[in-house]
Order: sequence, then C-alpha cells, then structure tokens
Amino acid sequence: MKKRFPESLYQSLREIVGENYITSNPLATFAYSQDASVFGGTQACMVMRPGSTEEVSRTLFLANEYRIPVVIRGGGASNYGQPKGVPGENILLDMTRMNRVLNINQKIMTVTAQCGIIMGKLQHACRKEGLYLFSPFAPLHIVSLGGWISGVAGAAGLWRDIVGLTVVLPNGTVATIGGGPGTNIHQPLPFNRHLGGPDFTGLFIGDGGSFGIKTEATIRVTRFPSVMRASAFVFDTMEETLEMVGQHVERVDPHPFDPILVFCPEAMKNFLPNPEGKEIYTVMGMMQGHSVEEMDARLKAFNLIGEELGGGRDPSLNAMADAMAASSNPEGGAGGGEMDWLAFFNGFGLACWLPFNLPREGFVENYRKLVSWRNERLKQAERRGYQYTAKWEFFTPTDSSGIIGEIDVFFQDAQDPEVLQFVQTMMRDFQDYALHIGAINTYTQGIASNLHVNHWSSGFKDLFKTIKLALDPNNILNPDLWTGQD
Amino acid sequence: MKSKEMRNLIEVSHFVYNCRKCGLCGNKTSGTVPYVCPVKEHTEGFEHFFSRGKIIIAQGMLEGEITPSPELAEIIYACSLCGNCQTQCAMIDNHTGLPLVDPPQVVEAMRADLLREHPEWIDQEYLAMLNSAKQYDNPWGMPRTNKEKWMKGLSLRDAKKEPSEVLLFIGCTIPSNPVVSPLAQKAATILKLAKVDFAVLGKNEPCCASVLKKVGSFDLAQEMMQKNIDSFNALGISSIVTLCSGCYHTLKKDYKKSYPPLIPNVYHIVELLASLIKKGKFNLCKKKPLKVTYHDPCHLGRHMGIFDPPRDVLAALPGVEMVERIATRENTICCGAGGGLRLFEEGRLAERIGEASLQMAIDIGAEALVTACPFCEINLNAGAKRLDFPFPVYDIIDLVEEGLSTT
Repeated sequence: MKKRFPESLYQSLREIVGENYITSNPLATFAYSQDASVFGGTQACMVMRPGSTEEVSRTLFLANEYRIPVVIRGGGASNYGQPKGVPGENILLDMTRMNRVLNINQKIMTVTAQCGIIMGKLQHACRKEGLYLFSPFAPLHIVSLGGWISGVAGAAGLWRDIVGLTVVLPNGTVATIGGGPGTNIHQPLPFNRHLGGPDFTGLFIGDGGSFGIKTEATIRVTRFPSVMRASAFVFDTMEETLEMVGQHVERVDPHPFDPILVFCPEAMKNFLPNPEGKEIYTVMGMMQGHSVEEMDARLKAFNLIGEELGGGRDPSLNAMADAMAASSNPEGGAGGGEMDWLAFFNGFGLACWLPFNLPREGFVENYRKLVSWRNERLKQAERRGYQYTAKWEFFTPTDSSGIIGEIDVFFQDAQDPEVLQFVQTMMRDFQDYALHIGAINTYTQGIASNLHVNHWSSGFKDLFKTIKLALDPNNILNPDLWTGQD
Repeated sequence: MKSKEMRNLIEVSHFVYNCRKCGLCGNKTSGTVPYVCPVKEHTEGFEHFFSRGKIIIAQGMLEGEITPSPELAEIIYACSLCGNCQTQCAMIDNHTGLPLVDPPQVVEAMRADLLREHPEWIDQEYLAMLNSAKQYDNPWGMPRTNKEKWMKGLSLRDAKKEPSEVLLFIGCTIPSNPVVSPLAQKAATILKLAKVDFAVLGKNEPCCASVLKKVGSFDLAQEMMQKNIDSFNALGISSIVTLCSGCYHTLKKDYKKSYPPLIPNVYHIVELLASLIKKGKFNLCKKKPLKVTYHDPCHLGRHMGIFDPPRDVLAALPGVEMVERIATRENTICCGAGGGLRLFEEGRLAERIGEASLQMAIDIGAEALVTACPFCEINLNAGAKRLDFPFPVYDIIDLVEEGLSTT
C-alpha cells in the first residue's frame, strides 16, 4: 500500500527537480520494483530523477524534515538486490539523469563524472581521449558509476583509483572528499586521496549507499592499453593451479591490467578434449599494455612460470585466450570482456550467482567446501525436478593476498516461481555459508550487506553504528541496509 | 485483467520471463551505440519509457499486480517498436542464436489486448487510422483515388489487367504526404528506363496492414493480410517491389509466415536498384558533389538485414560521397516515426527524435541525409524544421532519379 504524502511535500519536491522529473504514477513506480537481481528493487511512493548535486541535497533536507525514507538506484544492475527502504513509503532517487562527464584531465590523467553515468558511457568517453578506466568485473553497459562505487568497487580493484568524491550526506550537506579540493580550498584538482587527512573517500566505497549519495567522482585513468597478449596452461590438480597463481603474484607482481583467470573443470568441460575424464584446471593469463616489448616480457614471465610447473598446453585453449583478450579490448579492457561473458551467461537461463572472496592461504580447502556445499544444494534441486543448464566456475587473484571467484549455476524454467525462490534461497544461503567459512562478500548490496552484518566483530559493528548515527540521525537513507535482517 | 483479456500477452509471456531486467535495453553506450532507446533518450527517461520498465509492467499484468488503465495505454504507445532494445539484448539462445527476449512483440501484444478490451482508452487518432483502413483501405483517411494520381501521364500497366513480372507496390504513406509523394513517380521512371517489366495496382492497391498490426489491431491486420495474399497470389506476378520499408517488412516477414503463404518474392526498391546498377541497366551521371550519410530504416535494416544494397547504390552515384554516422546498420537509432509514435504527444516526441538523428549526421559533416523509407523521410523532415538551418533529407530514389535526369 502506498503512503500518501502531504501535497505541500509533493509541491516542494516538484520545485526541486522540476515537474517532469518526479512521478508518483503507480505504473512508473512499479517499473522500478525489479532490477537485474533475483532479489529485485522496491516499491516507491514516488520516483525522482535529480539532475544535480544541489537537487539531491535539497531533496535530502526535505526528506529529513518529513522523516521520509530515501532509496537510491543507479543502473539497476545489482546481483543482491537494491535497498528496499520502507516499501511503499520511499522516495526513490533514480540517479541516471546525472550522467555527464565533467572533466577529463590529460595532464594528471583523471576523469571526473557524475555518478549516475553508466560505466560503459564513461569508458567510451575516456576511450575517445585515448584513455582507459580499469574496471574489471563490471558489467560495463548496465552498472552506474555510483552503484559501482557503492556496491562492488571493493571487489576488484577500482577502489584504489578513486581519487575523490562529492557526496551528499544523509542530512543534505554536500561534502567534497579526497586529497585536493576537499582538504584544501585553494586546490581545485583532486589528485591524491590519501594525503591531507584521513581517507574519508574509502568510507563511502562499499557502503552500499548508506553513508551518503555519491554525485560526482574523480578516478585515475591510464593511457589506453593498445597491445594485448594472452596465454594458457592446463593442470590436473587444483593445488598445481594455485601454485601457478601464487608464483605469478609473488614473483612477477603482476600489473593490475593482467587478469589471471582460472577456469575449473565444470567450466571447461565443453571446450577441451578430455577422453580420460580427468579434472582439468585452466590458467589463462591476459595482458594489456602499451608496447610490444613490455607485453612480450610480461607474456614471457607468465609462460616461464607455467612451463616450470609443468603446465600443459592446448592449441585450442591458446586460441580461446587470444580471442578473449581481443574481444575484451575495443571498449573496456577486461571489463568489456565481462560484458561479453554476461551475454554468454544469459543464454543459459536463470543465473544463480555464487561469488566468494577468500584469502590465498587455505584457498583450496575453502574452495572445495564451497563447491561441495553447492553440489549438495544442487542434489536438492534435482530431487525437485529443477533443471540446470550449466555450471560456471572460475577464480582470479585480486592481488597477492586474495582471490575472488564464482561457482555459478544456471537454471532453466525462469518462469517457475518455485525455481526463482529456490535460486533466491540458494544465493542467500551460499553467502551465509561462505561467510561462515571466512569469506568476505564480493557485493556490498542488498541482502548480501545484511547477511554480512551478522558476521561482523562487535567493535566493527559499533564503529559502523556510530558513523551511521552521526551521519544519518533520522535513519532516512537506505535504512534497511546493514541491519542484519533480510 | 482476466486471462482471456490478455491472450496476446500470455502468448508472448516467455519473452517477459526470460528477461533478466539487466537494463542493457536502456543503458548501453559504446563506440557504435550512442544510446539504445530513442524514447528514453528524448523523454524524462523514467524506467517505464524503455523496454525493461515495460516488461516489468507486463509481468505485473500477468501476475495480477497491475490493472489496465488509461495511463497504461499511454505508456505502451510510447514506443517506436524500433527493436534496438532487442538488438542490444544479451539474451540470445546459445544454441539457436535466436532472441530469448523480444520487447517489441511484448509491447505489440499489450497494445492488442488493450485495444480489444478497452478501446475507449486508446488515443482517438489511432482509432481513426483503424477506421480509415476499414473504410478506405489505407490508414491515413485519404480517398482511394490518391493511390493513382501519381500515375498520370506515365502510361503504366494495370497489374489486374495485364500480366507482368513485377508488381510495384507504392504503399499508403507515399500518396498521402506531399513530402514523399513524388517518390512513386520517380521510382516508376527509373524502372521504365531500366526496362523492368512491371505493373501497378493504382487505386486498387490495398493497405499491407503493417500500421494496423503495430498499433495493435491484430485481428483486422490478419483479416486484411489474408485477403491480400489471395489477391497477390492470383495476379501471376513473380515479385513485389516495395518503396516503403514498413510494407517490405510486413510483406516479406508476416505474409510469408501466413497460411497459405504469399507466393511472389518480395524486394525493397533498394535491392532492385543495386541489382540494376550492377547489371549496367542505366547510366548515372555526375552531379554536384554531395556528402551524404545514410539512415538505416529499422524495418529495412535491423529487422530485415538489408544494409549493403542502399550503400552500394550510394557508392555508384557519381559525385556522392558517403560517410557513416556513429549509429549505423543494426545499431541505427529509429527516426522517431515507428510504431505509431508520430501520433504520440501530437508528434513532438517523434520530431525531437528526428532532430537528434539529423544532429548525428551534422556532427560528422554530412550535407544531407539519405534514407529509404517514406516514414523516415517524413519524420526526419519534421525534425529538420526544429533545426536553425535547412538540412536536406532525401530518399535514395530521389538521388538515383536525379542522376538519371541529365543522361
């Protein structure tokens, strides 16, 4: 049931964004009730599409005055659902109207953009200037910059490159943070996030949008990597595979552009000849850089380790690695490739995303626990007659310490509400199980955020509550997040 | 809405449930895709303006959470059915390569159900089109004789009386609008010069029913199509050549799916022109140099895969330099006239979309825009009026005929 707000409030909100950019039409608000995840969006009382930081700020001032919950939405591309707020009572801010690139600075190699911009558009704007925004694991064409920073940037690597933010705090105050204009009023350029004061930028990365609404961000970019190389090795055991990954991150200190993807047996069984039915693990290295000499050296280092460890070669695999590297390049580097993979996955049916994020130490044991958990759950699915079309298993080191990956399953019968519910429960329970064995969440969104709270230390919980209360005393911004309840 | 009242939507419900609601249909941007949905881009941009929102609403209807209303009618007619959303959609069957989600079919089905159950909520102009189709055999309220006015002085053969190889099918839109009405005469002149054995139907030429289907009158469209198939099959012609991309799409796709199917082959005039030029059937002389870009009509390009023949024709025209816009071939952005959108908001939205399309041409330094569909030409000309300076829009037939005229 939708709450009715006083006409004076509607009037004030209309004045803020203009009559055309606010709607309480039930069909319009209903259209926001789902997103890319199986956990969906929320039913809002009204939807607004603000066009500036000032409009967001004035809206939050007003929402505080009337004590109305505010939820935010970017591209609607979450994996674990959007903030629900108080269904039927929310103001939903659709941030995608704030989609302009504000500045590309070739001298200090940064891009500043409004946070409602879709990452693909931002990447394309950089590309036109010969620059590149490293954003692995982003479904580039659907995720907004703000959603990316709030919900997933911590998972892969972009967080290091976020230099500064403009944030509207829950009480409507506008804050510029990050070393530069935020910490020195005489300096117009954000250029070093970590100096000049505490790293408040980090506070807003991975907050799920709870501490403030990001309206502008400045991100470090690189020259567009025009040279690509790729190579692949196969191993019989996961231990050998991890040794390859370990030696590579320890000996080579790989460039952030060099994703190493490990595809596990289920992922590769349709691609590699395997008459003996062995478990095959594939380590694929994709390198992007600026000169042939540099790239050949990096490729040589990768191959040397693979050969020393006795990794096998397969011509079809090398061709696949080359094709993946090439397809990932034109628009978005590795992130662009991710979009191609999304297309690849989509054809399989209803995705049950099962991501994890673990330390490299003890990884094999933990990975096997997760696969075993999943397979047990799939037996339940089989008993119920639910069919799945494919399993997708891969992992990749984020740096020298950690590894993220997914062991996804794709179900048929997307129209069956029971299958949908099964997938929702499986995703939720998987996250809970992964947290129990020591994983941390890949996605700081929706139910994943709430599940994670139950595994926080008491000190961390207190710190979070203190910050949230200080910033949002009326608890109006995404009030359902980080509550421990889903 | 009861099940029988949404029978068309239920028929395409697999497209609704296959949709993963990822939003590619509204948000994708790349080097070749400036944006996906022209309606989202040129309105306030709320979710319900593009396919994801419409599909969520369709799901709400199927699950009883949404009841039909006049507002629903407004939302589902705010779509040009251009199909770019489907082109950009990642939901493709990995085995067959066929789309798993088809938003235009969902929107058409919603229109059909709403039009059948609640015609009182449908804009009067759409209803007038349907009445006109019944009364005059064209959706534009013009007398049947308009379809023969252009023939005056050309001594053309009547397909009903004299057998011929080819039926030149003019369509309803060309005779209805002075912006495009010269195209019929020009096309006939070209074909005569090339010694093509063709005839026409004049005032007896029926409406192909494309517009009716797009507006949601499935039953009337089906009835007309069946009648036309019988009539075309009885003519003894081997092929039909259309000047309109909408007619081409309908005759070639929908008529061929019907039973009994349409026997003659269907071609668009650009295919025939490209073939005639290749065979050297007429000479084209050099005109004043002109830098043009080509607008792929959705019905001809994205829906039917006809991308190269118009470009081959342009390449053969002496003095014409062809440049490509950012949104080209299957990524073309709708001119704004599709799906009955010219009747929405009294044409203002369609004109904004048309203006943006021209702006893309201007941005790459083109001096004119060429297309191959009367709907596109009309709407792009309407969009041109919003610019501060004149910007010519031609049909490809105009340029070929101009090239002939001095030989």
